Amino acid sequence: MEAWLHLNAQTEELVGQHCRTEMRVAVIGAGVIGLSSAQCIINRFQPTVKPLTVIVYADTFTPDTTSDGAAGFWQPYVLDEGKPEEVKWNKETFDYLLSYMSSSDANEMGLFLQSGYNIFKEPVPDPSWKDAVLGFRHLTTKELKLFPGFSYGWFNTTLMLEGKSYLPWMMAKLKECGVKFVEKKISSFQELGPDFDVIVNCTGIRAQELQPDPELKPARGQIVKVYAPWMKHFIVSHDLKAGIYSMPYILPGSKLVTMGGIFQLGNWSEENNPKDHNKVWEGGCKLVPSLKVVAKYLIQFEGKIKKESPYKINQQCML
Amino acid sequence: RGLRCRKQRMDRVRVGVIGAGIVGLSTALCVAESLPGCSVTVIAEKFSPHTTSDVAAGILSPHLITVTPVESLRRWFAETFAHVYSIARSTEAPDAGVQILSGWEIFKEPPEERIPFWSDIVLAFRVMSDSELTRFPETTFGWMYTTLLCECLLYLPWLEKRLKQAGVQLEAGKVTDLWDLEGKYDVVVNCAGLGAGPLTGDPLLHPVRGQVLKVRAPWLKHFIRCGDGTTYIYPGVTGVTLGGTRQAGDRRLGPDAADERSILARCLVYEPSLAGCRGLGEAGVGLRPTRRALRLGGERLERGGRSMWVVHNYGHGGAGVSLHWGMAREAARLVKETLAQIRPQPTHNKSKL
Repeated sequence: MEAWLHLNAQTEELVGQHCRTEMRVAVIGAGVIGLSSAQCIINRFQPTVKPLTVIVYADTFTPDTTSDGAAGFWQPYVLDEGKPEEVKWNKETFDYLLSYMSSSDANEMGLFLQSGYNIFKEPVPDPSWKDAVLGFRHLTTKELKLFPGFSYGWFNTTLMLEGKSYLPWMMAKLKECGVKFVEKKISSFQELGPDFDVIVNCTGIRAQELQPDPELKPARGQIVKVYAPWMKHFIVSHDLKAGIYSMPYILPGSKLVTMGGIFQLGNWSEENNPKDHNKVWEGGCKLVPSLKVVAKYLIQFEGKIKKESPYKINQQCML
Repeated sequence: RGLRCRKQRMDRVRVGVIGAGIVGLSTALCVAESLPGCSVTVIAEKFSPHTTSDVAAGILSPHLITVTPVESLRRWFAETFAHVYSIARSTEAPDAGVQILSGWEIFKEPPEERIPFWSDIVLAFRVMSDSELTRFPETTFGWMYTTLLCECLLYLPWLEKRLKQAGVQLEAGKVTDLWDLEGKYDVVVNCAGLGAGPLTGDPLLHPVRGQVLKVRAPWLKHFIRCGDGTTYIYPGVTGVTLGGTRQAGDRRLGPDAADERSILARCLVYEPSLAGCRGLGEAGVGLRPTRRALRLGGERLERGGRSMWVVHNYGHGGAGVSLHWGMAREAARLVKETLAQIRPQPTHNKSKL
């Protein structure tokens, strides 16, 4: 999520050098990276390059992409190395999205502001993105009382961008610009080779199917979604020894609350794991006791929810 | 408890509470909890969802123009905040309609009091930086704070459940004269809100009409309150309350179409995404029972040789939710003191009323 504008600079360079009049670009992948890349290419080249052909190839479209499964929480890793180009891409992304907040599009995009807490068991250095988000500050003693067992933390306002809304919105915009979508699994770059001047590879976790990459690994996550409309803040807990996203986190969405806390490097399983489920559920309820009554609450408000929902709306696996 | 009382006294102490808004119900609960063995009855013309409290968004931030001393306001607000906070942290929160909420209070011109008296009582409070203000049109000053919200549509029924568990009777009926209750109750607690006017002949109590529009916008996670509080957006549990109006002396209980258009237009300026609300909202009107000095005190009424004891707890204006628990506890103390005067304990009886 945080690096998706990096394509902007580098691809523009590449593409600009190569052609002056006609240009044919293939984008492989229709998650948030693929769609955003296509949009940036259109924005940059459509005014001057004619004809410009951009075609997005993917075997998976919204709502089945990885981007759709994510809660849509804008927050880079908390202890990143602060690489200047990443800091720049992060801020560019945040500012770009923030500029849509005052528009009437925000709703359709699945874009909204949310404030909340990052909590730690020991003091940590401020994150590289502290100036990108709004109103970053440390937690007061009074606020830390909300989280027994945690002694340090941050409060800030960030953006939520829900893939299930954002991706359809992007696709509609791209179609308006003349971008074509082809549902097809691309098995090799050579398959597209002669028909395109540039291929933009946005295949995410399955990039290895096109080109071996030992550095690319799945980091399996498992979440639980619940209906808890009284939750108005995100809470991300951290344990530096346990590793990123291995501790409970709670991310309220526009309709449901995502509970998570699983990050298993190297695990390709797309099955729900009951042990992981319990870890997420119990961890979340420990952070926020009121989540324990979610089942009761669902029954009470059955009439106001659009569809019949089981106690925990769904358990989802995402890589 | 009932058995023990019957052994010790010929008849139970009876307390009647007029009013079933947030003030009446919380006062009745505080009386019942501090005076076990006492018979408490709530008498009201209107119960939730038809009280003034039900219209309120329910945010805990006591904005008041009042002559009531700030020390009292601080004490009542702090006690209320602590109480609602403990509910927020418990598994009762969803049933009680209680949530923690952050947001921005913004001003076209900096207010006279740069830091409000309640800044250290809410969970977190800070003045916004200049760069933060640029997001809001026509805004030159602002606060960001984290507080609590008590949605009365849920909170009042939750209180009613607790009252019933505590053995309190709820009686539907309009009290037109305080003296109608004389002889029925040892002490009457007047939490009638605007209804206290006709009951007491109080010339200082007047309505300030507030209209709201409740919409479904579950993506909104912050409140926004503007300047004098006429324009606000409060996301609650069951919906978002958009407001509002401040019409002194206006007693119209029906929604006004022009007011509704004005509320929506003003809120859209600060939250453009409201244009995406599906369907029409639900309009509501509440008459804030406003009084320059909040009335909390005991009074011995006399009429033609008869006397009755009343504890008044009314005139909270738009700060009823913010102050309800602290004032209810104090009202209960006043009831206890009053009872001690009118039913002094025999010296050999060690029991406490």
